Amino acid sequence: MISALRNSVRASVTSVVRLFQTSTPQATEKFVHKRIPAPDEGVQGEKIIDLDSALKTKQNLFPTLESDYQLYNGIPYKDLPICNIRVSHNNTIFTLTEPDGKVRIIRSCGMEGFKNTKKGTNIAAQTTGITIATKAVVQGYNTVRVRVQGLGPGRLSAVKGLQMGGLNIVSITDNTHVSWNPPRARKARRL
Amino acid sequence: MHLSLRLLSNRHPSFIARTVFVQNNDIDNACRLINRIMGKEGLLAQYRLTRYYEKPFQTRRRVNHEKCKAIYNEDMERKIQFVLRKNRHEPFPGCY
Repeated sequence: MISALRNSVRASVTSVVRLFQTSTPQATEKFVHKRIPAPDEGVQGEKIIDLDSALKTKQNLFPTLESDYQLYNGIPYKDLPICNIRVSHNNTIFTLTEPDGKVRIIRSCGMEGFKNTKKGTNIAAQTTGITIATKAVVQGYNTVRVRVQGLGPGRLSAVKGLQMGGLNIVSITDNTHVSWNPPRARKARRL
Repeated sequence: MHLSLRLLSNRHPSFIARTVFVQNNDIDNACRLINRIMGKEGLLAQYRLTRYYEKPFQTRRRVNHEKCKAIYNEDMERKIQFVLRKNRHEPFPGCY
């Protein structure tokens, strides 16, 4: 009698205890890498923009024989200061140079106070762009041409930041180094 | 003259190739246009491909996959054009 009672009590206790799962949960699905959203490289419009219509509607989009001597704010195009933007996944570096390449201002997301992963965000690029633009305006550089190098989240927002800081941007040039017979690259990442 | 000298002296003269002038302070459009041109020319794809070494077996697999995809796309395009074609002898085939 007593043993039967004890058994029933034990059974109820075990059933209560079973409510809380103590073993490690079993993975029901495999992790699918495709679910991770594609990284933002700042190359918006890579596949969207209709090129032909853009080429038809607008004139003077691309440099011609005379464009070197065209005046912008009283300065010929080839003598405009250059704002170089080096974009990578982990940082964005701005350098404002004279047309002959002498560096006047240099600024990066790391110098701006962003640390570690935050350096490589589009917000960091934009704020850095704004600060370098305000500095450039103070030093008397109002009209610049922009040269972008590399792919990264800050690619588009960096240029936008320069404009928001008050610089007048004449042209955008891409200077990404692309080679069809490059030296052997580093080994692939293992995910 | 200046331009031709620059073209002769440098195989990748800056501010001539891959350059877009900004119209009416519209930076977004200029950026998108240059991205589009870069993408269409395959420069961005090549840049992304060469960040890390691609082993020969991976190259083979990629090339084969691209071939298959191109064949499929061509066929599918032909099918779609066939279905969407106009001036049919019988305007609604199979429907009475």
